Amino acid sequence: MPRRTDIKKVLMIGSGPIVIGQACEFDYSGSQACKALREEGYHTILVNSNPATIMTDPGMADVTYIEPLTVEVVTKIIARERPDAILPTLGGQTGLNLAFFLMKEGVLKKYKVESIGASVSAISCAEDRELFKKAMQEIGIAVPKSGIARSVEEGMKIGLSIGFPLILRPAYTLGGSGGSVAYNKEELEKFLIKGLETSPVHQVLVEQSVLGWKEIEFEVMRDCADNVIIITSMENVDPMGVHTGDSMVVAPCQTLTAEEYTNFVNLCRRIIRRINITGGGANIQFAQNPDNGEIVVIEVNPRLSRSSALASKATGFPIARVATKLAVGLTLPEVMNQITGKTTSFFEPTVDYCVFKICRFAFEKFPRAERVISTSMKAVGEAMSIGRNFREALQKGIRSTEIARYGLGADGKDVINDKMLANPTPEILKQIKDKIRIPNDERIFYLRYAIKAGLSDDEIYQLSKIDKWFIDNIRQIVETEDKIRQYRLDNSESEIHLPVELLSKAKEDGFSDRQLAFLLNTTEDKVRQYRLKNKQKAVYKLVDTCAGEFNAKQPYFYSTYEQQEEARPSQKKKVVILGGGPNRIGQGIEFDYCCCHAAYALREEGIESIMINCNPETVSTDYDTSDRLYFEPLTIEDILNIIELEKPIGVIVQFGGQTPINLAVPLRKAGVPLLGTSADSIDIAEDRKRFKEMLHKLDLLQPENGTAFTFEEAKEVARKIGYPVLVRPSYVLGGRAMEIVYDESTLERFIGEAAKVSGEHPILIDKFLEDAIEVDVDVIGDGETFVIGGIMEHIEEAGIHSGDSAMVLPPYTLSTDLIEKVRQATYKLAKELNIIGLMNVQYAIKDEKVYVLEVNPRASRTVPFVSKAIGVPLAKLATQAMLGKKLKDLGFTKEIIPPHVSVKESVFPFNRFPGVDVILGPEMKSTGEVMGIDKDFARAYIKSQIAAGQRLPKKGNVFVSVRDKDKRAIVFIAKKLADLGFSLYASQGTAATLEKNNIPVKALPKIAEGRPNVLDLMKDGKIQLVINTPSGRIPREDEVKIRSHVILYNIPYTTTISGAQATVNGIEMLIKKDLEVKSLQEYHKALKAKQKT
Amino acid sequence: MLKDGEKMKAILMLEDQKTFEGKCLAGITGERIGEVMFNTTIVGYQEILTTAANAEKIIVFTYPLIGNYGVNDKFNESEKVWAQAAVLKEPSRIYSNWQATGSFEDFVKKHNLLVLTGVDTRALTVHLRQKGQMLGIISTTRFNTKELLAVLEDFRKRQPVSKIAQISIANPKTVGKLSKNKKRIALIDIGLTRSLLAQLEECDLAISILPYSANSQQIVKTKPQGLIISDGPEQDLGLRLVEQNIKPLIGKLPIFGIGTGMQVVASCLGAKVFKMHCGHHGVNYPIHRPGSYKGQITMQNHSWVVDADSLARRKDIKVTAYNLNDHTVEEIESKKLKILGIQYVPARPGFNEINPAILRFVKMMERRK
Repeated sequence: MPRRTDIKKVLMIGSGPIVIGQACEFDYSGSQACKALREEGYHTILVNSNPATIMTDPGMADVTYIEPLTVEVVTKIIARERPDAILPTLGGQTGLNLAFFLMKEGVLKKYKVESIGASVSAISCAEDRELFKKAMQEIGIAVPKSGIARSVEEGMKIGLSIGFPLILRPAYTLGGSGGSVAYNKEELEKFLIKGLETSPVHQVLVEQSVLGWKEIEFEVMRDCADNVIIITSMENVDPMGVHTGDSMVVAPCQTLTAEEYTNFVNLCRRIIRRINITGGGANIQFAQNPDNGEIVVIEVNPRLSRSSALASKATGFPIARVATKLAVGLTLPEVMNQITGKTTSFFEPTVDYCVFKICRFAFEKFPRAERVISTSMKAVGEAMSIGRNFREALQKGIRSTEIARYGLGADGKDVINDKMLANPTPEILKQIKDKIRIPNDERIFYLRYAIKAGLSDDEIYQLSKIDKWFIDNIRQIVETEDKIRQYRLDNSESEIHLPVELLSKAKEDGFSDRQLAFLLNTTEDKVRQYRLKNKQKAVYKLVDTCAGEFNAKQPYFYSTYEQQEEARPSQKKKVVILGGGPNRIGQGIEFDYCCCHAAYALREEGIESIMINCNPETVSTDYDTSDRLYFEPLTIEDILNIIELEKPIGVIVQFGGQTPINLAVPLRKAGVPLLGTSADSIDIAEDRKRFKEMLHKLDLLQPENGTAFTFEEAKEVARKIGYPVLVRPSYVLGGRAMEIVYDESTLERFIGEAAKVSGEHPILIDKFLEDAIEVDVDVIGDGETFVIGGIMEHIEEAGIHSGDSAMVLPPYTLSTDLIEKVRQATYKLAKELNIIGLMNVQYAIKDEKVYVLEVNPRASRTVPFVSKAIGVPLAKLATQAMLGKKLKDLGFTKEIIPPHVSVKESVFPFNRFPGVDVILGPEMKSTGEVMGIDKDFARAYIKSQIAAGQRLPKKGNVFVSVRDKDKRAIVFIAKKLADLGFSLYASQGTAATLEKNNIPVKALPKIAEGRPNVLDLMKDGKIQLVINTPSGRIPREDEVKIRSHVILYNIPYTTTISGAQATVNGIEMLIKKDLEVKSLQEYHKALKAKQKT
Repeated sequence: MLKDGEKMKAILMLEDQKTFEGKCLAGITGERIGEVMFNTTIVGYQEILTTAANAEKIIVFTYPLIGNYGVNDKFNESEKVWAQAAVLKEPSRIYSNWQATGSFEDFVKKHNLLVLTGVDTRALTVHLRQKGQMLGIISTTRFNTKELLAVLEDFRKRQPVSKIAQISIANPKTVGKLSKNKKRIALIDIGLTRSLLAQLEECDLAISILPYSANSQQIVKTKPQGLIISDGPEQDLGLRLVEQNIKPLIGKLPIFGIGTGMQVVASCLGAKVFKMHCGHHGVNYPIHRPGSYKGQITMQNHSWVVDADSLARRKDIKVTAYNLNDHTVEEIESKKLKILGIQYVPARPGFNEINPAILRFVKMMERRK
């Protein structure tokens, strides 16, 4: 049916900041949706608070709002833009929930907005547990049996009627804490008592246990003519019990019979029809009993999801694009399949390879968090790999996660070595068994240890419930490893004599050259030479949606070791862009944004763009972002293979974050031309000594510093420059293992940890400038002209990682004089390093002096934020500069100082890690960011806070507890809060200070000393805001409890004085006057008008 | 003496002399000749190999991992493996599924099926896509292309024999007890699959399964209320006979032609069939109905197809569904003559469910008077 003409304007809701569970897959789906809607001629309005997205680029939608995703704000946008329809299925759970609330509050009805893609009733049916259960029963599909118990008696009754084992989940506890499995009557009673106590609402969900069952997922689409297609099936390697977002996943399913597969397909069709999705897609999750095939449906997501992004990338089928077209009334047969160019979207993709997804975790960032994975998602990112068998895909996948592993062990990084495994002690055996029994991020490596330690497939299966098919494949990898080891060289200088057949088998099984080098006691380079000499070269095969049946027009590629090369490189001038790999804390969507812009710019310049990346969530791995996409790990071996085949004129390493920057020197050594800033300049910026020399030469200040390899050396350095000091290993990302140290004993403890992190690299020690103001500057250069993109002042004081700090552009407290000093320093550095492309500099300002903290000769995390604030696509210009264009000719020669204020705020994953303290420090912890933009600082700041999820109060009670140092500063803040009508509660120390200054306050007892204490008040909903600054590295027990309750009850909080100040100013703004919304296009128009005058 | 490794060596040579080397599975050796075609389905290897319509074929599985879920006799579409040989990338070392009673290798051994493994099946598939389906020979004994080519030449010169004669049931057989309310159908077996028979039984039909050679009188003698021609090998010599046998019944009895059975029925109506470049072999083929946006994803397994133009001359029969990818004929219907033909496979849409095409035919029979 032709597209709907009764709607003209469509509002799309993005998913907001990157958080655990909602990452850049929604930028990918949102961007595809924007393109699809505009292709069909609709006027598109987009709202998203996340500036680091491609979808919020001003060119993507007709009107773009970077505003908080709340009912209040979106209602304003609806009133202003009057869309005919809202498309809520592309913005993750955030978008769906927001649409749901807009409906509930009558906004959609009032403004006559129709929900397309998923109707309100479809959303309700899938989201409301009771409705869902009923709907599934109607169509004869089982769901896990369950009931809610409000008392032990009730719980016993429910439990006994379902049968053991049972899962008990106390309602409303953080991160599913307090959950347990009961195997008998006694346990059921015991856990019920405990669970009812733990739950703040005294309710326990008693549920049939499907732990250890197979977890099977399907991606399904349906159009308004009732055509239904299955995009792909997926099988979780980790069985039920692990969140699918944390599981290793393969596509397609490997262990289903044809009959079972057909049966699942049939269930999917029935479900999508019953939920009644009439133009879109759904993700359906099932659990299947591996012993008898019994199936229950776990959940249905009536929207685009992480799994749908994975399914898209795994098959080549652009689900988001097609879903959008279906949402506006087209049918599947009417939408062309752009990959094949000749079939339509009414077609079920089929594959001739095995896809593997593996997650990237961030436990190292939260040392206090329990290192296990379960039903609450903890992964911060994921990588996808493709192979012609599972083993190849698995090993490529592990290497893609960039956790410094080069395959399934055998890379010199195994914590349990072969000797220990040959004769395992009972302790080691226990450790191995525990690690495969209780799911965790290292389980895959422990499966290898288990095999090596002599455990049988049966034993491993009994412990892990991982299907034996996967276990056997892992066993095959181990067997190949053992065969290779027999050719180990005694002398690393000797010639390799690995039989070619075995070499070929090793590559087929996905072994990297690096693993082979370790196993053979030689170097990676020698393995590479030996491999090429013996004609063992990677060939590239296609992701084409159809297993080769049609000649694909726009496929993408993966490597494998087989006979025939199919990539057919063109003779065009081409450039390779290295992507950022899986999302992690410190390297995420911001870098993907830059990579995409590089691809767009190359296309405009008529140069073929070649993207290498392995992150299935991103826009950069969309089939039409670059001219050619290689879905490959970002290691030197995999990259060189592609470069040798494609022979590009250059490689862009500046945009993918630290991953490609770390590859710059090895690539240069291998003779690969790098575009933009030279590898030597990169080295100057990264090498401590050379960097120091450069600063000296340029007459720029740096905090006093030194380098040490041992504790003795470190002690000496620290004593010389004086405590406090900032210590960290060299070559790290996101402030990994970085810490502020106030005394010698802390230093000693730290050395152990840091040395482990950086291997042979030294420990860096800097003077920590207490109470300094930090500044971030992004600058662009073409080798002749250098232009500042933006100068951003941090709102939090020095000591907090720049990725975690809130920032404001333009600066709001710095004098013109200081800003000028920063500016001049930046230009000096850019000129000296001869920057071609982008560079980021971090400064600390103390006592009117400007210190250089760090120089990153690459695109920084803030590039998209700055680009949106100043209305200039920096990444695109940088790409053009790298290709030899001049900024003069490109029309960007002068720093833009916008009349509006932009604030970037970070978003943290603390609610995923129960027990972790929420304070900020030099180690980056945030997963994402939001942007608040308005005419003044207070407004912009408060928008950023709301966008970051803080539910700021206009009235109520505030709890204040600050360290001694902040007691002076808190007086003014507290005074203002009192003036605004808030009641104050405080800890005893803080209360004393406030009382002295005649501010009315109620002192609360220490938690252990009396009740009601602050925790009680928080539980009862009597605290609306918490201001709590930490007292030191080892925080007092009370502080940690307070801050974890803040997360539990989602109470707005701030842990810094400057943050508190800005928050209180913002609240004043909220009380005085409601906030207005304005589109990015309007801001940019005003900017252009200002520039002209 | 051949070394152990070499014992396993096997080769596939296509008519155009393109060769693919691999290893044979389970020690099955020898030489097999057949038309090489690829199937893009991911699961269902056992079903494909035991489908009689695939007789004489060398099946290339595009999905690289075969044997993962083992085998179970209940998944056989017939008693034996009809395919000449199979080509695949990697046979699974173990199998894992609660229903499996044995491994793929056991199955291969039991049926003496020659399986060429370790082949770059993607390269082979792309080659076939470009050059079209063609004859090929798999050998574990000789690897000289000239010799193999000579064997192929010989094969081509040989007088073709009808495979259907071997496939079809020898003596008539009735399935499903006859009772008052049950409808009776006659089914000409030219490669009947178990899954079709099971679905028919579930429709509460009494089915007389007849040999391909049954003539119209013999068919009528079973007093059928409808006639079904099953799927089977395409372009088989025996099909002419079936055509002659059923021609007198057209318009007299509701007739349901399935797969090759539809080609037979269409031929009776004067239609021509032609060979496609690569055929349709997989489970993901969309069909659409003219004048409607509603279609269906179907399983297909055919290399030949009814020529729509040749059918257009007849006003009493309509094409009711086309393949959406290449607009070939997938379904024909004549309300007047009470004929239904489906080129696609009437696979079960789900456990215990019956394909809508079968239900349509049952309805067609009901409307008889």
